[in-house]
Amino acid sequence: MPTATSWTDPLRDLRHLVRFRLAQSRRPARLRLMVGVLVVLTLAAMVVPAYLPGAADYEHGRAFDLLLLLPSGYAGFLGLATVSAVASGGGRELVPREEAVAWPIGPATDHAGALLMAPLNIAWLLQGWLLLGATAYVVGPGTLPLAQPIALLWLAFGTALAQLLAWTMEAIRRGRYGVVLTRSLMALVGLAMAGAVVSGRLTGVLDELPTVRLVTVIAAATTGLSWSWVVAVVVLLLLTVVVAGLGVLPARVALRRPARDEQRLETGHYPPRRHPRSELLAMVRVDRASVWRAVSLRRGVILLAAAPGLVALSGDLEWELLTVLPGLVASGAALLFGVNAWCLDGRGGLWRDSLPVAPGAVFAARVWVLLELLLASSAATLVLAGLRAGRPSAAEIAALLCCWLVVALQVVSLSMRWSVRQPFAVDLRSARATPAPPMVMVGYSGRLALSTTVTGLVFSGVAQLADWQVALLVTVPFLSVAGIRLLRARDAWVDPVVRSRVVATVAA
Amino acid sequence: MGLLGDTGRVSESSRVQSAPDPSYNGVSASGEPVVDVRDLRVRFGSVEAVRGIDLRAYAGQATALLGRNGAGKSTTMRVLAGVIPPSGGEVRLAGYDVRTDPMAVKRASGYCPDVGGLVPRATPWEHLELSARLRRLAPGWDERARELLERFELGDAAYRVTSGFSHGMGRRMSVVLAAFHEPRVLLLDEPFDGVDPLGVEATLEVISDARARGACVLVSTHLRELAVEACTTAVVLRGGSRVDTVRAEELGGEGGARAYRDLLD
Repeated sequence: MPTATSWTDPLRDLRHLVRFRLAQSRRPARLRLMVGVLVVLTLAAMVVPAYLPGAADYEHGRAFDLLLLLPSGYAGFLGLATVSAVASGGGRELVPREEAVAWPIGPATDHAGALLMAPLNIAWLLQGWLLLGATAYVVGPGTLPLAQPIALLWLAFGTALAQLLAWTMEAIRRGRYGVVLTRSLMALVGLAMAGAVVSGRLTGVLDELPTVRLVTVIAAATTGLSWSWVVAVVVLLLLTVVVAGLGVLPARVALRRPARDEQRLETGHYPPRRHPRSELLAMVRVDRASVWRAVSLRRGVILLAAAPGLVALSGDLEWELLTVLPGLVASGAALLFGVNAWCLDGRGGLWRDSLPVAPGAVFAARVWVLLELLLASSAATLVLAGLRAGRPSAAEIAALLCCWLVVALQVVSLSMRWSVRQPFAVDLRSARATPAPPMVMVGYSGRLALSTTVTGLVFSGVAQLADWQVALLVTVPFLSVAGIRLLRARDAWVDPVVRSRVVATVAA
Repeated sequence: MGLLGDTGRVSESSRVQSAPDPSYNGVSASGEPVVDVRDLRVRFGSVEAVRGIDLRAYAGQATALLGRNGAGKSTTMRVLAGVIPPSGGEVRLAGYDVRTDPMAVKRASGYCPDVGGLVPRATPWEHLELSARLRRLAPGWDERARELLERFELGDAAYRVTSGFSHGMGRRMSVVLAAFHEPRVLLLDEPFDGVDPLGVEATLEVISDARARGACVLVSTHLRELAVEACTTAVVLRGGSRVDTVRAEELGGEGGARAYRDLLD
């Protein structure tokens, strides 16, 4: 049957796919509520800080300090969006690959879907809200109508540019010698950053960022509407449209090429090792392999272990502030698969559940693998971040270690509870796959970010006390709550009716 | 009595309410049943997937579960494997109650699930190693594992992750895993689905070997001819209930096909 094509087809297809995806929601009312909450939070971030004490006060308040940091913040958003899109192999999928094969979805639609999905990510949202809030605080209430459109346009442009760069990287990665090329490129970027930090030229580099001009326009808007504002808006708008359109080109190249990373893992040989010494170790070995042989998980863990540490290293963070890092990394690592931990077994779930082993032992093995991953990745971050933080006091090191343990267990207990309560059938073969639908992931991310940030701030306060033993005392209630939650999740898993529902869902 | 007897269509209620006798619906068997299912019911929320199935299967025999999609074959197999708890009725496998002693049931059985059945990023060898460890097989299991992999032409893929397998390879590997530890009850759910002729031959051989050593085999399939070839008895399910139990050979040929179709409608 002949079909007509036009340049608007990708957008029309996108609309159909969005409808299809929304129709799959198990709880539509909850979905609407979540969208409402996100909109309200975004509006609050755009307006409320402008009315806080010290807003737009460049002499007595912190507005001037914030104004100086704003260009770095704007550039940081672009960097984070790019890293996130590159790590996920060109951005998240609107429709999982397995389902999408049934329809003729072109690269342009795929690209548009990835653009649409980019903000449904807690890192994007937090960074975006932070920028909008900081902009509002810097300009004050009178200039909000002029300043926030520029900030919003920057978020849109940054997302589109990140997507363009991510598809370009993916096209390179899928080409001949692509893996070597991309790894070399990343190493060069890392070395350049390290060089700038070590040589003390980082501040100079930040002062030269193009975002300085953007912030100048925003600051100038406090005196009223000007030509520079109009030009900035028009240029950003045009750039956003052009860059979003250009993204189709590398997307087309990337999606035409085979995914070499995935193929390498699927066709590689994994020679047998010595037989495991116990049942638990046998299960841990299989679960661990399921993590490290998935492209999305492997990339995500490496990125999470390195990136926040490098940022903290360049920012020269002090020990008492490092307590927020373990929560950030552990949450990110759990969002790679932990929030739907049984999806690691995929369609093998039914077979695994037919093996004669106590369900509690299966649960313990999964917790072990998740916990070791969270602890290892956050430890790597802390080691990097601590390199330039000087010599810690006993209270600082005790608070940091306790916080590291507490947030890991907190995140594991929440993840295992969600994994049992709301499982999803997910194929993690694709680097673009996520363990749960996008809005569910936003909900999980928000919950994890909130609880781990609060915990990090509590231990940050504890780190400033003289007595290191206080950290141990504070740890006890946190660990108890997380431990009880974990035991409850285990009890639910051990129930054969609940377990059969989970297994049948992930194996579907 | 044959599949249709003299009257053509069989009353479903009369079949379902058959007596709990080793010989039922004209199919006779000797000894105690290894698989004994009475009035099995499985409910998922508001959906009743299995509505009172009675089933008995014996050592040294292969029983086919036949029926259309949604007839309740796979759900029944999952209950027998101890993966889904029954909502009602009594299910015993190798003398163990699946509700009260699922671990013993899992030790006594080997299960090939209908979908996938393989951990995507583990290799066949890792699957076998995990099975050997959890089933506490004696040292030397490696030889049996290698022999089975070779028999199913999976030797070259033993150290590759299964997510890269074709559908047929996955099915063959699932049969290997079910038969690996020589269980007393072999549960094969759609083992022939998408499998090439050599794979089918190997699966038939596994069923034959299992019967020869006295194991009870249950094969769920919608492929009638293969069921006839592999099994001694056939249980036909429809809409979550058993509609008939016949000697498998009675379903062979054109006459059997017609009779089978009548049972499905």
